[in-house]
Amino acid sequence: MAKRITIDPITRIEGHLRIDVEVDNNAVSNAWASCTMWRGIEKILRGRDPRDAWLFTQRFCGVCTTVHAMASVRSVEDALKLEVPLNAQYIRNLILIAHALHDHIVHFYQLSALDWVDVLQIPKADPAAASRLAESLSPWTRNSKNELKAAQDRVKAVAASGQLGIFANGYWGHPAMKLSPEINLLAFTHYVQALEYQRKALQVVGILGSKTPHIQNLTVGGVANAIDLDSQSALGMDKLEMIRTLLAEVVQFVQQVYFVDVCAVAAMYPDWFKIGSGVKNYLAVPDLPLDSRATEFDLPGGYIRNADLSGVKGFKTAADPVFRQSVTEDVVHAYYQGEKPLHPWNGETEPAFTGWEAEQKYSWVKAPRFNGEPMQVGPLAQVLIGYSQGHPLTKKYTDMAIEKVAAIGGVHATPAALHSTLGRHAARAIRACMLAELAQKHWQLLVDNISKGDYSVYNAPVLPSHEVQGVGTHEAPRGTLSHWVVIKDEKIKNYQAVVPSTWNASPRDHAGAHGPYEASLLHTPLARPEEPLEVLRTVHSFDPCMACACHAFDPAGRKIATAKIL
Amino acid sequence: MGNVLLGDDALGPYVVHLLETQFTFEERVQLEDLGTPALDLTHRIAGQHAVILIDCISTQEYPAGTVLEYDKDDLLSALPPQRLDPHSPAVSECLLAAEMLGNIPENVLLIGAIGECFEPGEPLSEAVRGAVDKVIGAVLGELWRLGVRVERKPSSAKADTWWAEELCTTIS
Repeated sequence: MAKRITIDPITRIEGHLRIDVEVDNNAVSNAWASCTMWRGIEKILRGRDPRDAWLFTQRFCGVCTTVHAMASVRSVEDALKLEVPLNAQYIRNLILIAHALHDHIVHFYQLSALDWVDVLQIPKADPAAASRLAESLSPWTRNSKNELKAAQDRVKAVAASGQLGIFANGYWGHPAMKLSPEINLLAFTHYVQALEYQRKALQVVGILGSKTPHIQNLTVGGVANAIDLDSQSALGMDKLEMIRTLLAEVVQFVQQVYFVDVCAVAAMYPDWFKIGSGVKNYLAVPDLPLDSRATEFDLPGGYIRNADLSGVKGFKTAADPVFRQSVTEDVVHAYYQGEKPLHPWNGETEPAFTGWEAEQKYSWVKAPRFNGEPMQVGPLAQVLIGYSQGHPLTKKYTDMAIEKVAAIGGVHATPAALHSTLGRHAARAIRACMLAELAQKHWQLLVDNISKGDYSVYNAPVLPSHEVQGVGTHEAPRGTLSHWVVIKDEKIKNYQAVVPSTWNASPRDHAGAHGPYEASLLHTPLARPEEPLEVLRTVHSFDPCMACACHAFDPAGRKIATAKIL
Repeated sequence: MGNVLLGDDALGPYVVHLLETQFTFEERVQLEDLGTPALDLTHRIAGQHAVILIDCISTQEYPAGTVLEYDKDDLLSALPPQRLDPHSPAVSECLLAAEMLGNIPENVLLIGAIGECFEPGEPLSEAVRGAVDKVIGAVLGELWRLGVRVERKPSSAKADTWWAEELCTTIS
């Protein structure tokens, strides 16, 4: 008899990801992914000036502010057929890279590492042995015995206080935890160090964007950074040098720590290369444009159907005609009115809430489809699409990861093993290494272009009076993001954002096809169904994000009696 | 903190914009509209001497518009629940992280009003709008307790509440 388990952090705040699984014989037999919060923010944009849209869209979400700003200006530029000066492309690319590096580091260390790392094992580790192991894996200079011991002492201090504090919500001592005390200690030490490096990445976003969160330097047609090499207030050598130094530190952390840790965890959990695949259709858009018309890119895009890597199709532009035509959203199982799948330019967002019903409507997330099929998006999609097309940078770090995993654990993974929970983590680390290398490349491109005397940052937009449509894409940390805009009489007539987590967290469609989260959970073995750590591992591997952050402080479960009422 | 597009969740950013336009603070005071920073809040608070968080509060315990304060012990005593995504508001988690790192601020106070409506595109509810002066009073009170000098500007500019032009702009 199947047993239903609901994982629902609703006690925290209304409106987040909820997962329901049916468990039969200690394995998942059915799954539902739902978002419990209304996503109708696009409606706010109707009637506004399209040049202002990005200021609103970057407030969709508190974590991915930058990506929604970028996709928005690109959508309007696409509608207006507006080119973007080279300097603006490079500045935007640097912001996108720094944001993505920050995001990938946060995801691994803060949001998912503790699914694999058992904090309770850390006090048992021998810091000297852990240091020797670390030095055999990486040239990172902060793996000394003393540094590791200091991190171990922090855990011991928290444990000695009688409360687990920050670690109170983990499944410690769970039978699915397999790392040695020394690797647990290493990963935890890097979790602490990661806080420093993710902050440095954010500083780069802040310098170029004037502030973070909510960058201020974008504008339809380019950026608003004044370039003057001799000025301290404009973007000059002082700031560029600061950015170079910060990026160098982040790059080192990504390549010598994050990448190595992911390979080590993968080597110790080889079974997870066989778990969690799900939807094997993949979609990614090209990004990091190298020219003002955006015809060449440093990150490849395209799509793969049904795990057929040799049949990969590439996209030539960020808003490829195939992409433009092939996206629809289905609402049969989502809380919206409507019957037929609609193209985003004709998209509607009229709510029809019914409550959670397994066979009917059960989510606020629509079901995006590409040529009618569910697609998995994210770093794994991008890496598989790049690898299959022989993209040199993708190949370099993918092969390096495969070799590293084999060297650490004797596990000979193939690119096909990437269709898995671990594959998503590995692909994110591979992508982070690619971005790290590209960060330095795009910094140099910017400096070289400025050195030629090109200070141009902006082409003025002209809004036509007739109706125009545009799509702006960005290969965001969680995957393909697209903003779709219809402009008429210089105002926004329609606006739809198809966000990465909508693709991945999608509910079933009219044909009953599962979305990627749902499909990836099927057949997952559970050691203790009442503590579904394995479900969390797979869901976390997607880096879920429901793009509708609300921040009301919820005191549920807290000692409200001590709060002072004014 | 708060999402300006979601009704009463805009309370925090709104109060910050009002404080900015109507008062002058010592240089050591930083006013920030952080949106919904989730885990990045750690970077903003770790290592500071004192932090005042202004936020909307979601509870049925008291009527909408009630102004509540939570001190450091209240916030630290909350156990962070299992998180599925990076968006869950993470005030307690970020404070616990700062505590583990050994650089939690000495003074932490969360001041907020209970919200009523969190719908996209809605303005602040009457109840929360009515609480704005109290929230500002509580912030100024905490600053006074911390020994920070605050002066009212002789003539106040209009607050830059770009997301909702109809918001009120004066503090009584």
